Amino acid sequence: MYTHNGEDVFVIDGHIHLWDAREENIIHEGGEQFIQCFHDYHTGFTPEEEQWDMDTYRNYGAERMVEDLFRDGYVDMGIFQPTYLTDFYDEGFNTTGQNAELAEEYPERFVLNGSFDPRDGDEGIAHLERLKDDYDIQGVKLYTAEWRGDSKGWRLDSDEAFRFLDKCVELGIENIHAHKGPTIRPLNRDAFDVGDVDDAASSFPELNFIVEHIGFPRVDDFCHIATQETNVYGGLAVAAPFAQSRPRKFAEMMGELLFWVGEDNILFGSDYAIWEPDWLIPAVMDAELTQDERAEYGVELSPEVKRKFMGENAARLYDIDIEAKKEQFKDDAISREFDLGDTYEEASAD
Amino acid sequence: MGTTDSPADATETPVDPDAIRERLDRVNDPELDRSIVELQYIDDIDIDGGSVTVTFVLPTAWCSPAFAWMMATGIRDEVRALPGVTDVTVRLPDHMHGEQITTGVNREQSFESIFEDAEDGIADVRRKLDEKARFARQYDAIRALRDSGLDPDQIVSLTRDDIDLEFRSAAVAVSVRDGVLTVTAPREPLSEYLEKARATGLVTDGTDRLFADRDGSPLDPEPEAFEFSLRDARLAVSNIEGQATICASLHESRNDVTIDEPGD
Repeated sequence: MYTHNGEDVFVIDGHIHLWDAREENIIHEGGEQFIQCFHDYHTGFTPEEEQWDMDTYRNYGAERMVEDLFRDGYVDMGIFQPTYLTDFYDEGFNTTGQNAELAEEYPERFVLNGSFDPRDGDEGIAHLERLKDDYDIQGVKLYTAEWRGDSKGWRLDSDEAFRFLDKCVELGIENIHAHKGPTIRPLNRDAFDVGDVDDAASSFPELNFIVEHIGFPRVDDFCHIATQETNVYGGLAVAAPFAQSRPRKFAEMMGELLFWVGEDNILFGSDYAIWEPDWLIPAVMDAELTQDERAEYGVELSPEVKRKFMGENAARLYDIDIEAKKEQFKDDAISREFDLGDTYEEASAD
Repeated sequence: MGTTDSPADATETPVDPDAIRERLDRVNDPELDRSIVELQYIDDIDIDGGSVTVTFVLPTAWCSPAFAWMMATGIRDEVRALPGVTDVTVRLPDHMHGEQITTGVNREQSFESIFEDAEDGIADVRRKLDEKARFARQYDAIRALRDSGLDPDQIVSLTRDDIDLEFRSAAVAVSVRDGVLTVTAPREPLSEYLEKARATGLVTDGTDRLFADRDGSPLDPEPEAFEFSLRDARLAVSNIEGQATICASLHESRNDVTIDEPGD
């Protein structure tokens, strides 16, 4: 748990990965380009002394992940967002199956999400049903720019995608996380265009659409959609590290998001292991708007607002009872392993 | 290729490196709407008689080939326009399509002939980016006019003929109320705006309205709608600057440069 000015902040990291980019898992040059590109984003925004070498970055493993998130990183719970990329990686890059191993070891600490690809047709529907059966998933992470054979991507507003969204409604998979953000080599830039979220979100009001990476480089398009659709959310991964290296730009971006998207519809995510919560969370929590920015946007980046996007908003989407979790974490496996029980004792005494 | 010691060249105007840099400053990163000199993309300028080789680097190896193409042609055309320059070679190392791009640009081929499977032609890409940049620049232009005392009604009805760019070096004269009144406003935000308004075809002759909404439709002077459009233009600025932050971080980390934040 993070403590900010003496107050507890329950952190649900809305965007984490456990990937395998070892050379023996790569079966297409796109796989190597992809992890190299991820590493560029890592070094681009990570303080020099916190940067990882490429070997560690390819495959950091479950043990390190648990330490980085819970022991060192103030995170209370994390949401796995899978990225299959099975055309690039033999066993997949970061699949629900791979994530499940850790998620099932500490089920109280992790939310495990699935994924679908409408190009998989009937087989894809069966896969989604299986994920629901096996793991009772409440959300999916979608990668509209993923390559599949000759196809370089798909759209969320297509008939094929709507068939899968119908299936999500039927199965009670309510949270649809779509990567709509910076280009990742070798994927096509336009396949991450945020425009297709609009029609999907208005056609499926019972689902929540979380636009990961707030649509960069089309934040304005994303904001327009989020203003109109109450079931559209913004995931802060990629914007969050601005807080460390470019704090004024981060504050300005938060001003825009709070104005257009609203404080109830923003979710924090570290994008671990691209960035690590131990330095990222303090930077985000320390961010402040200037008087001019507060006047300009008519919003506050107050501790209450930060608590919302740091955990409360995600808790609402995933039916997590934060008070019950604090009680449980006084003595769960992670708290015992890292001696964290006391932090939750003090919290509930408040 | 240049032959510096040939007598023919010695009589030509020598090429001035500062003049090249100044000329390159006119080339923008089309997505970030900022000069490639300011963004520190220029890695090297080599002058050999009338022959100039410009090497530029981008924040990542996978920056959009279309954007890279626009910058490469911009470099070629701007430098070639200088007196004394006989030929220009553009180089783009460390980019996944660097070879294709520079070979194409140096041989004056078209983008479409090099990147056959590109979804949009170069003109379409440029138009979309120009439109975004125009709308973002509108924010500073309108704020400057508002600070000069103009109200939404007056701002909305301004035409190109109402602006005298040649008034003073740092100020323009703005004619309002059918010429009954003239006010001055800072020059830079308006001249920069007009440049993009022309590039997008929004303002082509003197009677064209200066400003338009994001989609090109006329601005509504009704206060709430006017305010909303201004906020939207502000968002366009934040989007470009946010993207610029990502690019700058990647550029600094990969190419060991330091870039000033815009607006600071």
